[in-house]
Amino acid sequence: MDALVEKLPFLYHMIKVIPYLLEGMKYTLIITFLGVAIGFVIGAFAGLGRISNSKIIYAISTVYVEIIRGTPILVQILFIYFALPDLLDLNLDKITASVIAIAINAGAYIAEIVRGGVESIDKGQFEAGDSIGLTKNQTMWHIIWPQAFRRMIPPLGNQFIISLKDTSLFSAIAVVELVYQGKAYTAASASYFEPYFMVGLFYLAITIPSSIILRRLEKRLDV
Amino acid sequence: MIEINNLHKYFGDNEVLKGISNKVNEKEVVCIIGPSGSGKSTFLRCMNLLEDVTDGTITIDGQEITAKKTNVPKIRSQVGMVFQHFNLFPHKTALQNIILGPLKVKKMPKEEAEKKGMELLEKVGLVDKAHMYPGSLSGGQKQRVAICRALAMDPKVMLFDEPTSALDPELVGEVLNVMKDLAKDGMTMVVVTHEMNFAREVGDRVIFIDGGYIVEEGDPNELFQNPQSERLQTFLGEILV
Repeated sequence: MDALVEKLPFLYHMIKVIPYLLEGMKYTLIITFLGVAIGFVIGAFAGLGRISNSKIIYAISTVYVEIIRGTPILVQILFIYFALPDLLDLNLDKITASVIAIAINAGAYIAEIVRGGVESIDKGQFEAGDSIGLTKNQTMWHIIWPQAFRRMIPPLGNQFIISLKDTSLFSAIAVVELVYQGKAYTAASASYFEPYFMVGLFYLAITIPSSIILRRLEKRLDV
Repeated sequence: MIEINNLHKYFGDNEVLKGISNKVNEKEVVCIIGPSGSGKSTFLRCMNLLEDVTDGTITIDGQEITAKKTNVPKIRSQVGMVFQHFNLFPHKTALQNIILGPLKVKKMPKEEAEKKGMELLEKVGLVDKAHMYPGSLSGGQKQRVAICRALAMDPKVMLFDEPTSALDPELVGEVLNVMKDLAKDGMTMVVVTHEMNFAREVGDRVIFIDGGYIVEEGDPNELFQNPQSERLQTFLGEILV
C-alpha cells in the first residue's frame, strides 16, 4: 500500500478520505431513505388531494405543492432548521431537520407523480369499480392504486436520485453528509481534487446501481 | 322492475336526454337502438347512476334510485353493467375480477366467492381461464368474464352497453350466446346494441332513441319490418344495407 502511494502520490488523499466519506455516506443515506419514505406518504395524500372532489382538500394540496416546487430546497432547509425553531421556540437537530426537508420537498414532487399516475388510469376502470358497487375508496385502493403504482415506479426512482443529490445542500447547515465530509477533508489537507473526486464517485456508487435496479424492476413489472 | 319517468340529462348546456319515460318488466329483454350520439348509452348509464340524472326519476324494484339520499354503491351493486370495452381489472386474474365485488361489497367468505366464481366461469365456458390475466384473453373471452363479474353480484337487472361493438366479428357470437342463455334463465336485461339479429331473436321489445327522445318502440319483428317514423326508416336503411 505504502509503496503504491509512493509511486502514485495522488492516491494518498483519495484513500485517506474514504473513512470520512463513509461516515458522510451513512448520513446521506439515512436522510435520503427516511426522507423519501415519509415523502412518499405525504405525496400519496397530497397527490390524491390534487384530484379530490373536495375544494378544501384540493386547495390545501395545491398550495403545498406550489410553495414547495416554487422555492429552492436550500431555502427550505434554512427555513426548517433556523427560522422555524426560532419562531416556535423549539429545538430541532440537524438530521431531523434534514429528514423533514427531504420529506416535504420530495412529497411535493411525489404528489405530482401520484396525481399523474392515477390520472393515467383509464376512466373505464373507475366505472367498472363503481359498477360492482365498490365505494370510491375501495375502487381507489383495490383497482386504481395497484395499476397506478406500477406506472409511478420510474418517476419515483428518479425522485429518489434527485433527493439523494439534494441532501448535498444540507452541508449548508453543517450536516455531516458526503459533501460536508469532503469539504472538511479539503480544509484539513489543503488538497482539493482528490477528496472532491471521491465525493463524486461516492454519489455515483449509489446512483448508478439505483438506476440499474430500477430499470430491471421496470422491465419485470412491464411498465 | 324498472320505471323511468321523464328523464332529462344535460352535459353542460347540451341536453342529451329530453324527457324519457319507460318501463321494463321483470324478465323482459329490452334492446335499445339508435344512431351514435342519440343518447342511448347515456340513458343506460343513468340506470346505475354512472351518470347523474339532471331531472326525472328512475325506480328499480320499488326503490327510487334517483332520490337524493340514496346509497349509490348499494344501488350499483344490484344492477349489473357490461361495458363496450370490458373494463376488466388488468392486474387481477379472471377469477379475481369476478370475486372482487362479492368479497368487498357483499363480504362473502373467499371460498364461497371462489366457488361461485368458478360456477359462473363454467356457465360461460371459461373454467380453464380462471387463473389467467385479462391480457392473455381474447376480446370475446374478456367480455364473457366481464359478464360473470357483473353476475357475481346477483343483480336484479343487467345492463349491456354495446357489449359486442369492440369485438372482432368472429367473436361476437360467443358473447351473444351467453347473453341468450341469460335471457332464457329469466334475467331482466337492457341492452344497447347494433346487433339487429340479437334484438329480433332475444329481445322482447326494441326502443329506438334518436335526438334524446324515444322515437319508437315495440315488438322487434314488427318494428324492423314496419317502422312508422321516418327517422327509424332512415336508421334501419343505413344499418341494414
